[in-house]
Amino acid sequence: MRPILSRLALAGIALIAAGAAHAQSEAIPPLPAVKWSFDGPFGTFDRAALQRGFQVYSQVCSNCHSMNLLAYGDLAGPGALGYTEEQVKAIAAEKQVNDVDDNGQPAQRPARPSDHFVAPFANEKAARAANNGALPPDLSVIIKAREGGADYVHAILTGFREAPADFPMADGMNYNLYFPGHQIAMPPPLQDDSVAYADGTKATLDQEARDVATFLTWASEPTMEERKRTGVKVILFLLALTGVLYGAKRRIWASLH
Amino acid sequence: MVDSQSQTLGAHGGDPSTRRDFLVIASSALAGIGAACAVWPLIVSMNPARDTLAAGAPIDIDISSVQPGQQIVVLWRSRPIFIVHRTSDELKKLQDSADLSLLRDANSDVLQQPDYAKNWHRSVKPELLVLVGICTHLGCIPNFVPAPGGGLGPAWPGGYFCPCHGSRYDLAGRVFTGVPAPFNLPVPPHRFVSDTVVRIGENPPDSNFDFGSIEQI
Amino acid sequence: MARPQNKLVRWIDHRLPVFTFLEHELNEYPTPKNLNYWWNFGSLAGIVLIIMIVTGIFLAMQYTPHVDYAFNSVERIMRDVNYGWLMRYIHMNGASFFFIITYIHIFRGLYYGSYKAPRELLWILGVVILLLMMATAFMGYVLPWGQMSFWGATVITNLFSAFPGIGNDIVTWLWGGFAVGNPTLNRFFSLHYLLPFVIVAVVGLHLVALHQHGSNNPLGIDRKGPQDSIPFHPYYTYKDMFGLSVFLVVFALIVFFWPNALSDPQNYIPANPMQTPPEIVPEWYFLPFYAILRSIPSKLFGVCAMFGSILVLFIVPWLDTSKVRSAYFRPIYKWVFWLLVIDAFVLGWVGAHRPEGWFVVIGRIGTLYYYAHFLILMPFIGWFERPLPLPPSISEAVLKKRGPVPHAGAAE
Repeated sequence: MRPILSRLALAGIALIAAGAAHAQSEAIPPLPAVKWSFDGPFGTFDRAALQRGFQVYSQVCSNCHSMNLLAYGDLAGPGALGYTEEQVKAIAAEKQVNDVDDNGQPAQRPARPSDHFVAPFANEKAARAANNGALPPDLSVIIKAREGGADYVHAILTGFREAPADFPMADGMNYNLYFPGHQIAMPPPLQDDSVAYADGTKATLDQEARDVATFLTWASEPTMEERKRTGVKVILFLLALTGVLYGAKRRIWASLH
Repeated sequence: MVDSQSQTLGAHGGDPSTRRDFLVIASSALAGIGAACAVWPLIVSMNPARDTLAAGAPIDIDISSVQPGQQIVVLWRSRPIFIVHRTSDELKKLQDSADLSLLRDANSDVLQQPDYAKNWHRSVKPELLVLVGICTHLGCIPNFVPAPGGGLGPAWPGGYFCPCHGSRYDLAGRVFTGVPAPFNLPVPPHRFVSDTVVRIGENPPDSNFDFGSIEQI
Repeated sequence: MARPQNKLVRWIDHRLPVFTFLEHELNEYPTPKNLNYWWNFGSLAGIVLIIMIVTGIFLAMQYTPHVDYAFNSVERIMRDVNYGWLMRYIHMNGASFFFIITYIHIFRGLYYGSYKAPRELLWILGVVILLLMMATAFMGYVLPWGQMSFWGATVITNLFSAFPGIGNDIVTWLWGGFAVGNPTLNRFFSLHYLLPFVIVAVVGLHLVALHQHGSNNPLGIDRKGPQDSIPFHPYYTYKDMFGLSVFLVVFALIVFFWPNALSDPQNYIPANPMQTPPEIVPEWYFLPFYAILRSIPSKLFGVCAMFGSILVLFIVPWLDTSKVRSAYFRPIYKWVFWLLVIDAFVLGWVGAHRPEGWFVVIGRIGTLYYYAHFLILMPFIGWFERPLPLPPSISEAVLKKRGPVPHAGAAE
């Protein structure tokens, strides 16, 4: 048995050294903080940004990423994206959905508002085959499924860079500042003017990333605004109740002093 | 000195205990309101969810292939909907006063149909009948027996026969007297989006009929 | 009396003595007059249990316990079911708060010697409740069928393979298959629905045991007579309601404004048996036990150490040799108690990280301290410590007001 102390010392030094090297190659810079309209207890969604973000999703992201948990009808209404029922019917009808015709044969029909978003690929294997073996994740709850939420998604979308000279990149991977490990299978999906915004907003990469991250936040949690509104009312009520109960408690206990 | 006996609420008059009474009443009231507000979402959660309601959206049915005298059955809001292409003979029979006397509610006085179906043919267009195919007795699905006479007797004008307890309806879904079913078969909201496509679940533009207001599904 | 309520009350009470029971347990039941706010946590735990059961029942109306539908059914609850998001967030965060409250309740017991005679069985029933809570929470976390649900279930059920000989058979039996899968999910759903009602029954026993001798108090001395106690109602009913209201404010802040602060984003990724997440971490309330498990390099002994850390709680009434109950009068143990609290937090912090580098060392020290605290320090300190003189009675200590009494109930 070697003396334990020197073993510990060697281990300690090795750990620190390994840790330092580890840190250099894998350090992810802190996510750039973005001010979102939905931040904070009183935050709400910017409806124009939601619609622009949906446009980015439909025109760019939906080519590879499904969003299975949302139905077209979910987009309608002032609590959602602010589209009318008619607009939503039109949005849905642009997509084809698998169905069965009157003879029982597979057929396609235009989507209805009650249909869920049509996925770009029939199944996981088809998705992988079309994307070099990588599976583009479903985006329905992506904001809640990633540490950093909207900040993270925005950072990823704007974080594509040329790989540093000494960084070994695997085949088909893309260098991203903020992705853990720095290698992401997704090529940069957005750049300036990837879409032409219907409302005329200038479509810089940052703008597109913000808008689509806003839309994805809504998609991950459509009830967020209702949650915060209800929360304010509940907290105010509970504070009143607490105050009254404290008074009652003091009064009742006063006779014991 | 502590006298636990006297700690009953509101036992004394005077300022300290009335203030305590107010606080006790106020806190009980607020707590009660809070409890009610907490229970209410739980009860409401059992109402149909958004996706369930969306699945109950109107459906479009192509009726171009339904022959005169033929019935098709489709599902709307999980219920069978009878769609019948009535022949001109059948329509004439509907207005026959001899048959009308056998009916419990010949003029559709009971609210079992939208305002635009409160007529002698109980539909938008006379030749197309749309009914909710659920017997108003206890909920079975009546059989379509359009041919007069036959096994149901010489007086049978054609219509529906429910196999569960023998209720009968005519070819406008009107219930006969002397059978257990109390009401006519309901007519769902419907309109024609074109000559060959009928939309079940939606009123014509000039009507605001609420299907939830009918007497009984 | 002509008043109908009294006649009706008497009629019922004669046949089923609910009213006499309530009168006795609320109005007559003598409670020490000097309880501080650390005594609120028992009733708070009971109320949170009810909240969990009620929200759970309504959630179960909408949830589908099948691997192909579970994740989506939970999202349907969040998006489509009226107030589904509220029920889900209350249930999800309620579990965390249930553990926070219970851990505080346990530490209260450890500090004030509430486990000492004649309350040993009361304490033991409490540890049984803790075990049932842990089993319930573990199975509940599997139900949404996210990545952490699946992989947490895989790791924890695999622990049982440590048992020599029959280990693998036990695991296969638990799984109902060759891996965690649909049979596992279904049975976890069934048991997750069942166990809370078992908890209710054990809580009932816990309360019966409590009412035998009444509550302990911050001074740790017995009630000597009626001058030491007050009726539970209205003093402690109102104090408990006030405490509940304060708790609800904190709970509401989390539920409405930071509902995902205590959970892992990985669980919003549907379970994928082909891909292990970069870090498999249980919910925060299991982290200290997870740290103990991983601090022993042997699989079997790691499992034993983890279960042992809870089993050791069962014998605490006999490990502590002190003649004095409350740590207030125990100058040495008072500080050692806080070491245990710090140790719990340290172990929790260790459990959250990958077992590499300094985390391993600290985790082992933390585990050693945990066992040393119970098996060595508790008995020894009890023998060698010289406690402070106890006051003659509760009411005298209360009346002394500015005497050696910390928070004498009424004056809080």
